[in-house]
Amino acid sequence: MLSTALVFLPIAGALLTWLIPWASARAAGGFALLVALAQLGLWTVALGRMDFGSGALQEATETPWFEDLGVAYKVGLYDFSLWLVGLTAVVTVAAIAYGTWAGRERPRAYFGSLLFLAGATTGVFVAQDLLLFYVFFEAMLIPLYVLIGVWGGARRGAATLKFIVYTMAGSLLMLVSVIALGLGNGTFDLTELSASTNHWIFLGFMAAFAVKAPLWPFHGWLPDAYREAPAEVSALLSGVISKTAAYGILRIVLPTFPEPVDDWRVVVLVLASIGLVYGSLLAFRAPDVRGVVAYSSLGQMCLIVIGLFAFNDSGLTGAVLHMVSHGLVSAGLFLLAGAIERRTATDELALLGGMARGRPRLATLLITLSVIALAVPFSVAFAGEFLILNGIFAVGWGWAVVGAAAIVLAALYMLRLVSAVLHLGQGEAVNEVQLDLRPAEVAIVGTLAVVLVALSFWPAAITDRVFGGEPARAVETGFAGRGGEASP
Amino acid sequence: MDVAAWIALFSPAVGVAAITLLGHRITGAQAGILASGSVLVSFVASVVAFVTLAGRAEEDRSEVSTLWTWLSAGDLEVGLEVLVDPLSVFMMLVVSGVGFLILTYATGYMRGDAEERRYHAYKALFVFSMLLLVEGGNLLLLLAGWGMVGLSSYLLINFWHERPAAVAAGKKAFVMNAIGDATFVLALFVIVAQTGVLGFAPVFERAPEALGESTTLSVLVALGLLGGAVAKSAQIPLHTWLPDAMEGPTPVSALIHAATMVTAGVYLIARTAPLFELAPAIHDLAAILGGVTIVFAGLIALVQTDIKRVIAYSTMSQIGYMFLAAGLGAYGAGMFHLMTHAFFKALLFLAAGVVIHALAGEQDIRRMGGLGRELPWTTRFFVIGALALAAIPPFAGFFSKDAILASAANAGALGWILWTLGAIGAFLTALYTFRLVFVVFGPPITDFARDHLHRERFEGPLAMIWPVTVLALLSVVGGFLQVPGLWHLVDDWLHPVVESIEEAHGWVAWFSALVALGLALAGIALAWLLWGKRSDVPDRVRAGAPWLAAAPERKFWFDEAYDGLFAWPVRMVASGLGRFVERPLFLEPLGDLGTGMRGLSGRLGAVQTGGVRTYVLMLALGLAVLTVVFLAVS
Repeated sequence: MLSTALVFLPIAGALLTWLIPWASARAAGGFALLVALAQLGLWTVALGRMDFGSGALQEATETPWFEDLGVAYKVGLYDFSLWLVGLTAVVTVAAIAYGTWAGRERPRAYFGSLLFLAGATTGVFVAQDLLLFYVFFEAMLIPLYVLIGVWGGARRGAATLKFIVYTMAGSLLMLVSVIALGLGNGTFDLTELSASTNHWIFLGFMAAFAVKAPLWPFHGWLPDAYREAPAEVSALLSGVISKTAAYGILRIVLPTFPEPVDDWRVVVLVLASIGLVYGSLLAFRAPDVRGVVAYSSLGQMCLIVIGLFAFNDSGLTGAVLHMVSHGLVSAGLFLLAGAIERRTATDELALLGGMARGRPRLATLLITLSVIALAVPFSVAFAGEFLILNGIFAVGWGWAVVGAAAIVLAALYMLRLVSAVLHLGQGEAVNEVQLDLRPAEVAIVGTLAVVLVALSFWPAAITDRVFGGEPARAVETGFAGRGGEASP
Repeated sequence: MDVAAWIALFSPAVGVAAITLLGHRITGAQAGILASGSVLVSFVASVVAFVTLAGRAEEDRSEVSTLWTWLSAGDLEVGLEVLVDPLSVFMMLVVSGVGFLILTYATGYMRGDAEERRYHAYKALFVFSMLLLVEGGNLLLLLAGWGMVGLSSYLLINFWHERPAAVAAGKKAFVMNAIGDATFVLALFVIVAQTGVLGFAPVFERAPEALGESTTLSVLVALGLLGGAVAKSAQIPLHTWLPDAMEGPTPVSALIHAATMVTAGVYLIARTAPLFELAPAIHDLAAILGGVTIVFAGLIALVQTDIKRVIAYSTMSQIGYMFLAAGLGAYGAGMFHLMTHAFFKALLFLAAGVVIHALAGEQDIRRMGGLGRELPWTTRFFVIGALALAAIPPFAGFFSKDAILASAANAGALGWILWTLGAIGAFLTALYTFRLVFVVFGPPITDFARDHLHRERFEGPLAMIWPVTVLALLSVVGGFLQVPGLWHLVDDWLHPVVESIEEAHGWVAWFSALVALGLALAGIALAWLLWGKRSDVPDRVRAGAPWLAAAPERKFWFDEAYDGLFAWPVRMVASGLGRFVERPLFLEPLGDLGTGMRGLSGRLGAVQTGGVRTYVLMLALGLAVLTVVFLAVS
């Protein structure tokens, strides 16, 4: 029941937000915020009830859907999916709170869409049926199209078009794979899929996930979408939606396609390594705040994919940890980018500068999030990167060397961002009248920062509580839990 | 005891959190008291840990205390833990003790600065990071402290963030250190892959078998660690960030240099000595880099004209001695010099801070002169520091430098080669140090100094005077911890952790000490002839052989080389990728005409929104059709 509630509470909230004629924008946003907080509350209940020792599926619900096809409505939580649901809930609360505070036109449609997006995303993380997974995966797109297409910036049209063309292409290939795999197996139940050696089905899934993550060179939609979407939608896109792709690789691709994964591993690692360096270099030259964060996200998602394809304890654990920490940090950075744009009406680095003077709260939060984003040792992001690179080192030391070089590049581009916004002389678009962060902004972004700092003192809060303590074995056995048989 | 260690570690962190959260509700002075108070707590706790440790039998003087698991993955488990043993307690005492003095000085020095609170928070963060580095109970936490120190130094260096030079220097320091972090982390990957653990004791226990002696693996591990050490301690070839770091306020320079950050590399080598000893070639390399840095930095210090930069290069050179010692296995001597250097170098920086302040921020020694009469107490303090730095007995630097040279004299052929470099260094040290003394403090007073001199700040705030006095005292008496032939308190204290090589005895020891002392005295005498008497020889040399001065003045072209080899290519590749790959292949297809053409593409985008709707509609229809088909089938 709990899994179902996690998905349908926000969706029901979305319907109510759309249907009830709320008196004011604040009321609609406030209601949406309450729903998001309720989802977060439900998640803490799930956290309390989770048995982290077992590694098995929990809180499962199953209702037959198309019985003769083996399709069912089946949802449930694994320990690692729980963390991603938590990430979704936290970032959704932050995004809706920020949107409410900032004020958006047509608030009912807007906040309803955000809630619907949260529900669909949660659905991806809890679905235990292939077709259901696909439905949720596609359902995320509908609110996203609208959110970017209607509330986006000046070039939202082009951005949305690209986003659609890319993701549709990936999705259609995945749909074919879903059907082929499900019919071939006689069931769409994710927990009962047997291993497949079919490279085409594997590639179909990978296409969708490579676009969504994105993986280089499938990222063409990313810079425009991240730049044109409203700040909180960008926060959700890079913080949460991108993680559904990594999750898909972890939940479906790795356990189901052991042979193709092995055969294609080098190709994926090469692309991901290129993407990591490429994204870092472009972040270093990006002319705007969002560009830096967007390309850095490209690099970090590639890093997560590297961790997944290391396919060992360290890499898998690091990938999950990094999904959570990158989700929080990039969401926080996009919200800050929004706060900067609200004040200066631009996020061109050339026009910014000197904002630290007289704005200690903005400076403190931007510096805190930036140094976590560049994975300063002792930060939770560092912990994740350490595990990922340590995992890939065991596969081949060359990959880890590339990754270590990317650590240096991350320092370059994040410090460039910090200096260009906060330091040196006042930029053209900056003046004394522009205020420091307001209490609401501090509360929203500050909460994300506090969570990140707390996790930095205790990353094991997550790493001790994934895959029932046996990462590689859990993935190989298709998450059968302790005592499960290795798949043939 | 472990409680004391935890209190020592977290007290400055609490200070940082308090200052950050209280914000405008406290004054700058209160923030200063919070910061230095929290470090005082650390110092007291360190003393408690020291006393407790000293009361135990030698073999019981090592304890790991774990709060909780910090990071885990499968079989790998890393605790949030501190290691309390003679080496870490030694470092804790130096870091928190000298740190407290510097923070107290800073409350006077920074009074009235508009951003005083932020400054004190950064300082406390620095001390926390440094304590994490020296107390961290495993290699990963050592690296964590390592990175945090780099972060705090970045924040401190570009504290005056409206100055372009300060911002650039901060970034340079951080990136240089990040390079060191990267090689460090690669070494850890090898260690994890081979031993499966990261705790000091288990790694050292398994390393001989898992890595082997002088194998590729053990060499890579040592090399990776050395890369980190060299970057952090500003040794050749990763030293270029340090002189630029002088852009920060003066107490920052003192803290970065003297007590703490740059000596971290020496601590790392001593701490991971068993790993270095598995790769003797790299161990020797550390000593050689140290020896070369001694002379290299000494030469540059000789021609610099910025008072803080001279002292900065002197720091590089002195850390060269510590690397030399640690690389040869004379850990006790290296740590001893680390401690005495902390005293007298902090003293020199703080005294130089007074000079700079008295001259309204001027740092160019060519405009200084004759300050001896105007700032008598500063002069006395500075001269004490200079005598200690030049290793004149009975000042502290004499004993520690002598210990290093005596150890080198007992370390075979390589030892003698390095001893020679060290002896040359002793001469250069005395020469450049007393160049400063004579130029800045010797008569006659310059016009600039007469016009700009103001003494409001000096001999005013007690908060600035007494830390300097304490440091001056320590610079005088600190050396007696280790007197050749009589007692070796530092070696004995560190003995349970690291076994130092024997120093030379008998006539070799006398020879080493006397030659070094003679060279130092000769250096002072030459400085007196050249600068004390205002001779025109330096100018004539400069005019006659410009290349001779140009090489050290341009710092042997390291900056230019790195710009050309790394910075420029990275910028070019990044820009090229953006222009020739990203834009034509990824941005422009599908309706975008490039990022520069916002207006035009905005209009084009509007035309295409119809397409968007169609796609959304198609998707919704597709889902609907699919559902209907499946329903019909079922």
